Amino acid sequence: MMYFLYFDPGLGAMIIQTIIAAVAGFILFSKNLMYKIKLFLGLAKPQEDDIFDDLDLEDKSKDQPE
Amino acid sequence: MNSHRPHSSSFRDPSGYIFIENDEVKRVINPIYFKQYEALKSSGFYDFLIKNALLVPHKEIASSEDQIVLKAERIPFITYPYEWSFNMYKEAALLTLKLQKIALEEGFSLKDATAFNVTFFKGKAIFIDTLSFDFYEENTPWRAYKQFVMHFLGPLLLAKHYGNESLGFLKQFIDGVPLHMVSKMLPFHTKFNPTVLTNIHLLAKSEAKYHEESRSEAKRATLSKKGLLNIVESLYGFIKNLKLKEASEWGDYYDKINYSGVAFDHKATVINEWIASLKPENLIDVGGNDGTFVRKLKFAPKQSLVCDVDNNAIDFNYSQIKRYKETSIIPFVLDVLQPSPAIGLNNKERQSFLDRITTFKPNVTMALALIHHMSITGNVPFSMSAEFFAQFSENLIIEFPKRNDSWVERLLKSKVDFEAHFGFYNQENFENAYLNLFNLVERVPIEDSNRIIYFLKRK
Repeated sequence: MMYFLYFDPGLGAMIIQTIIAAVAGFILFSKNLMYKIKLFLGLAKPQEDDIFDDLDLEDKSKDQPE
Repeated sequence: MNSHRPHSSSFRDPSGYIFIENDEVKRVINPIYFKQYEALKSSGFYDFLIKNALLVPHKEIASSEDQIVLKAERIPFITYPYEWSFNMYKEAALLTLKLQKIALEEGFSLKDATAFNVTFFKGKAIFIDTLSFDFYEENTPWRAYKQFVMHFLGPLLLAKHYGNESLGFLKQFIDGVPLHMVSKMLPFHTKFNPTVLTNIHLLAKSEAKYHEESRSEAKRATLSKKGLLNIVESLYGFIKNLKLKEASEWGDYYDKINYSGVAFDHKATVINEWIASLKPENLIDVGGNDGTFVRKLKFAPKQSLVCDVDNNAIDFNYSQIKRYKETSIIPFVLDVLQPSPAIGLNNKERQSFLDRITTFKPNVTMALALIHHMSITGNVPFSMSAEFFAQFSENLIIEFPKRNDSWVERLLKSKVDFEAHFGFYNQENFENAYLNLFNLVERVPIEDSNRIIYFLKRK
């Protein structure tokens, strides 16, 4: 672990991450819930044509022979 | 042990540095980073990222007690954050978050998150700082979080609310846009969005509050890995869905300008003949709009750069690249009247456009429908625009709209009483100035238009 950071991570930024993470968790939870409700009611919109991938990577290396 | 002069942009991170040797990009790793490097290598982490085209490929070429040397794939032209369109900027941000997620899952963490760690190559964003990964330590917050917000989230939010000119902020703030500034600038109603409220407003407040306190307090801050992943995941979803407020409708640019189908086709035929005779490895289209003309080329160079002052045009070009998985075009935003300057330490940390383009050495420069904007809108004398192109262009394909071209007439009219000053704008003066620095290879009037196209070779 390299403690000699060459830029300031910001003390306030380090401390507040606990709260930001809690809110993020809540956002993710409620989004997921809304999605499930919509799915149940048949209101879920089909995925738009999107140029960006999802966060989870489809491992492309597995398709290629070594 | 050889000691090399580090590249002028490579001095911040004590883990190692980049140097250029015989046109090759090499990276020295210092002993202080050996443990991390070995772990990243032996765990297959580097291989995984490289195979998935997330990280610039490298090979280890030397290893001793003092240093390990890697040779990295050379990216022919580096674009900077302030040259990206909105969606390019988004992709760079998403790539950084994606890398942080993968890193966390493998027991590592991004130790920095500057936007300068990302550039574009082969049609996608790619991470170019191989040494940005460190071990993840349980229950510690993300040290690069604030940097990520200052480099990515801040500028993206400002662009969303105030237009894509805000993406140029890193030119002024090489270390990211100050949080208090982003927080103050954003509209009040953004405080009702929980993601913006926490990641911008609350963060800015917390930073201001703890600004004076001692660093040792940092030990107090703890955060579970799950919490950290929540931050990454929610930022990813938020940024992915960010859209510009302004209409970014684009698509039929070539229908909107004063070109008849005949003229357009003739222009394309002439240029195609010239390009076919040159068979260039690479080219730059200055003022190339959404890349329409580069895509019209029958001989496709290995690497094309397409720049334009219009962020929307670049964005449209970029979305075509994504949609059709094109790999040979690098689009970027550039104002020829104010090309990206050199910034940072010694004015050398980030290179100017001219520095980068002279190193890139395009075989061909195309400047179509540009000279009248430079000369009339920008008041640039022909001798000076000729000098500009001559600095980096071996072959120049330049279009000259005559005085009676409707677009030129419109630009001249906008000068009102000053119009007389532009008496110089004619074919004769143009040729005199350009043929001072270039030899004429061919000159073809474009059918059904008041435009002439020139093929010039630098003297």
